[in-house]
Amino acid sequence: MKGTVLKVENLAVRYVTEDGIVQAVNGIDISVEKGSTLGLVGETGAGKTTTALSVLRLIPDPPGEVVSGKIELDGKALMELPESKMEKIRGGLVSMIFQDPMTALNPVLKVGDQIAEAIKIHQQLSQDKALQKAREMLEMVGIPGARMNEYPHQFSGGMKQRVVIAIALSCSPKLLIADEPTTALDVTIQAQVLELMKELKEKMDMAMIMITHDLGVVAEVCDNVAIMYAGRIVEQGTLEEIFNNTKHPYTEGLFLSIPNIDDRKAELKPIRGLMSDPFNLPPGCSFCDRCDYAMDKCATEKPEKVHFSPDHFVECHLYPDNKEFQLKGGKG
Amino acid sequence: MSDRTLSRKMIPATKKRSQALDVWKRLRKSNSAIAGLILIFIFLCLAVFAPLIADYENDALKMNIIERLQSPGADHWFGTDEMGRDIFARIVYGTRISLFVGVISVSIALTLGGTLGAIAGYYGGKIDNIIMRTLDVLLAIPTILLAITIVAALGASILNLMIAVGISNIPGFARVVRAAVLSIKDQEFIEAARAIGSRDHTIILKHVLPNSMAPIIVFATLKVASAIMATASLSFIGLGIQPPTPEWGSMLAGGRAYIRDNMYIVLYPGLAIVLTVLSLNLIGDGLRDALDPKLK
Amino acid sequence: MIKYVIRRLMMLFPVMVGVIFLVFFIISLTPGDVATIILGDGATEERIKDLREELGLDDPLIVQYGNYMIDLVQGDMGKSYSTGLSVAGEIKQRFPNTFKLTITAIFLSVLISIPIGVISATRQYSIFDNIGMIVALIGISMPSFWTGLILIILFSLKLGWFPSGGMKGIMSLILPAFTLAIASTASITRTTRSSMLEVIRQDYITTAKAKGVSRRSVINKHALKNALIPAVTVIGLEFGVLLGGAVLTETVFSWPGIGRLMVESIQRKDTPMVLGCVIVFALSFSIVNLIIDILYAFIDPRIKSNYS
Ligand SMILES: Nc1ncnc2c1ncn2[C@@H]1O[C@H](COP(=O)(O)OP(=O)(O)O)[C@@H](O)[C@H]1O
Ligand code: SF4
Ligand SMILES: [Mg+2]
Repeated sequence: MKGTVLKVENLAVRYVTEDGIVQAVNGIDISVEKGSTLGLVGETGAGKTTTALSVLRLIPDPPGEVVSGKIELDGKALMELPESKMEKIRGGLVSMIFQDPMTALNPVLKVGDQIAEAIKIHQQLSQDKALQKAREMLEMVGIPGARMNEYPHQFSGGMKQRVVIAIALSCSPKLLIADEPTTALDVTIQAQVLELMKELKEKMDMAMIMITHDLGVVAEVCDNVAIMYAGRIVEQGTLEEIFNNTKHPYTEGLFLSIPNIDDRKAELKPIRGLMSDPFNLPPGCSFCDRCDYAMDKCATEKPEKVHFSPDHFVECHLYPDNKEFQLKGGKG
Repeated sequence: MSDRTLSRKMIPATKKRSQALDVWKRLRKSNSAIAGLILIFIFLCLAVFAPLIADYENDALKMNIIERLQSPGADHWFGTDEMGRDIFARIVYGTRISLFVGVISVSIALTLGGTLGAIAGYYGGKIDNIIMRTLDVLLAIPTILLAITIVAALGASILNLMIAVGISNIPGFARVVRAAVLSIKDQEFIEAARAIGSRDHTIILKHVLPNSMAPIIVFATLKVASAIMATASLSFIGLGIQPPTPEWGSMLAGGRAYIRDNMYIVLYPGLAIVLTVLSLNLIGDGLRDALDPKLK
Repeated sequence: MIKYVIRRLMMLFPVMVGVIFLVFFIISLTPGDVATIILGDGATEERIKDLREELGLDDPLIVQYGNYMIDLVQGDMGKSYSTGLSVAGEIKQRFPNTFKLTITAIFLSVLISIPIGVISATRQYSIFDNIGMIVALIGISMPSFWTGLILIILFSLKLGWFPSGGMKGIMSLILPAFTLAIASTASITRTTRSSMLEVIRQDYITTAKAKGVSRRSVINKHALKNALIPAVTVIGLEFGVLLGGAVLTETVFSWPGIGRLMVESIQRKDTPMVLGCVIVFALSFSIVNLIIDILYAFIDPRIKSNYS
């Protein structure tokens, strides 16, 4: 172990809106080791983006409110930092890549200037030097340096995402948070962008949080995986543990709902129902009304963490009494 | 097929009812919209019950030289004007004219402009192009100037005033209705209506317009406000309501010469304009926010 | 860029031809015989007939319009019915005064409204924002001729700081320009605020913050330029409102511009003069919108690159 880059404890975030309170993140713990990649997996609305924005302290307020939580990045307690110090950390120690490259770049500024801006802020370089470095970054992500004087609308979606990556990596962050970086891209471009990210991550020796709902992406790039559901992390472990020793019914459901390359004839089984109403989470396990294994107490009691290894835990009532329990359909 | 068409068609109807309720709930939460509603209600009462409040012939019309230019007091709440008429009474009767002209001229603009906009939006293509390019010509003349020109040609009268203000607002309504129609014409239930063979004007009147009402209502509310302002403006330069009929703009024009010593003579009629226009603007804004909460 | 400007200029012509025809047509609806109006009721049949011929009043409207257009491109807008002077000459003499007034007013508006709109948006629902928005709404609801009268009462009659009318020096410009600016200021403020609110929740603003850009420069550098795009459109539209308002403001302040000229001409049934004034107003409005569209292209690279 090389030590921890990011440690999040008991993070809870809610959005207070006119229609009610959304409990977006409800007490989660995450840690990311230096140089490793954590996959944060869950369907839309699970609270993944909210978690990511919390680390940068960029939750829109209002309506967002961080209810509780400690965030330690590279030994610094972020929650206590004044805004001015936080500005130095954003884009410096930790960067983020957003889901939709079409809207992530400022339409009225040249891409070169958008990259150089981050460099100027964090590395105190002159305008010329920063632009020079921006050009290098652009070339590093596979775009000819000459195009740095163009505007975002002159780039395709995949190239825009490359620009966003160049911005994020321009100051060699220790942690990169990638929020569904390939979801909005064409399938063929997805693989290229993913490959690029993997390569650069190795080269720059950073840690990464890869947010996705695509288990294929997870298998490709992650060392550890956290499965998120309705603002909780319901199962977490190494890639190997999650894929081969699946414990949570929701995780199992995720696997069953994607096509299996080894067994093409296997029936696809989407998870039934919809995610619980975020305005009104059930008192017990949030997955209760969609779970094939649900028991009486699932509806009333919140499940506790059960550990299978120091890294691997699950939050589910199936296990405290019977650690040997095996799910029916998964790969386990 | 017919079954599915039916159920599809029912969606917007039910949705609309609950949407109207939602809108009202949100509107009720807005203090400024409520203030606007109360204000306009007061003005409406003044207009409707004017005869109970003041005597038209004796207070608002009849010259009374002995009592001219009296300061506000117990007899004359807002004082008297240069002809000795009671300013309060004239303001009360002025409300009738302002609201009437405002609403009628907007109705003219809404009917004509709305029809043009609906046709342009619904049929698109060449028809759209011809209508909108023609309206661009109207738009190139600032609204109030167009109205002034029309009244100047037709002569100053209440009817011509309403026609002028109405016509000058046609392009605005055409644009808003066209945009609203465009945003809705390709939705499923419209296609369903087309599929069962409804005729174009039935589709437009029964399906398209009712479902694109929201932006039109907001626009119309705001335009009644500006029509009231335009009416007063035209009357102020002598092109609107002619004296001695009590109208706020012409009251200001008449009192202009006496402001040195009797500022109330222009103060109160002006305030009446400001408050009426303000109340409609408050309601229009509130409606817009209530209809589209995310834009707030 | 040049292509874009040329294209926009080309679009101006058909609109202006249409505008002139429309105004020509509206004014032709004026009841009463022009020749009788000019010569007075006592004139002989003979003289009226001669004058009708001279002015081409018996030609079909479209011919009259054609003749007017031919004269117009040569800079001739006919003669005033009441003074016999050249309409173009009169307008040329008065136009700079209206220009001075409206330009001052629009500068005042922009200078005041943009900062207030931005601050309001960045502090949405603060006291500043709430008061600012109420004041803006009241500003939109005040008729300029009334505001003008109230300003005259306060600052001229009571305090004696400014003259109450006429055009003598910079001091006489302040009250009318301010009067004219109020409504536009209010409405540009509201647009700036709402487009700013729209912009600051865009993804690229989050991207900028995630880069470590300070709050201040997120607003000034990233958000403002985007928010200005709709604001600039409204500035163009407001200029039209302002030109219309000039008619009233000039009347209130006895400002010798074409707005007042137009009102006087209407009262004298001096149709060529009215026609000339409206055409000049519409042309100014169209030119301002042309300038706005070009400005647009400078702010928004998406438009510029479409035409380069
Ligand atoms: N700005 C916001 N205002 C109100 N609710 C929000 C906001 N952002 C996110 N939410 C809500 O919080 C929950 C979690 O959202 P998010 O973190 O975006 O999930 P994910 O990224 O996993 O799709 C969702 O129910 C979403 O509707
Ligand atoms: S706690 Fe109960 S409902 Fe929740 S996942 Fe486990 S078995 Fe299913
Ligand atoms: Mg997300």
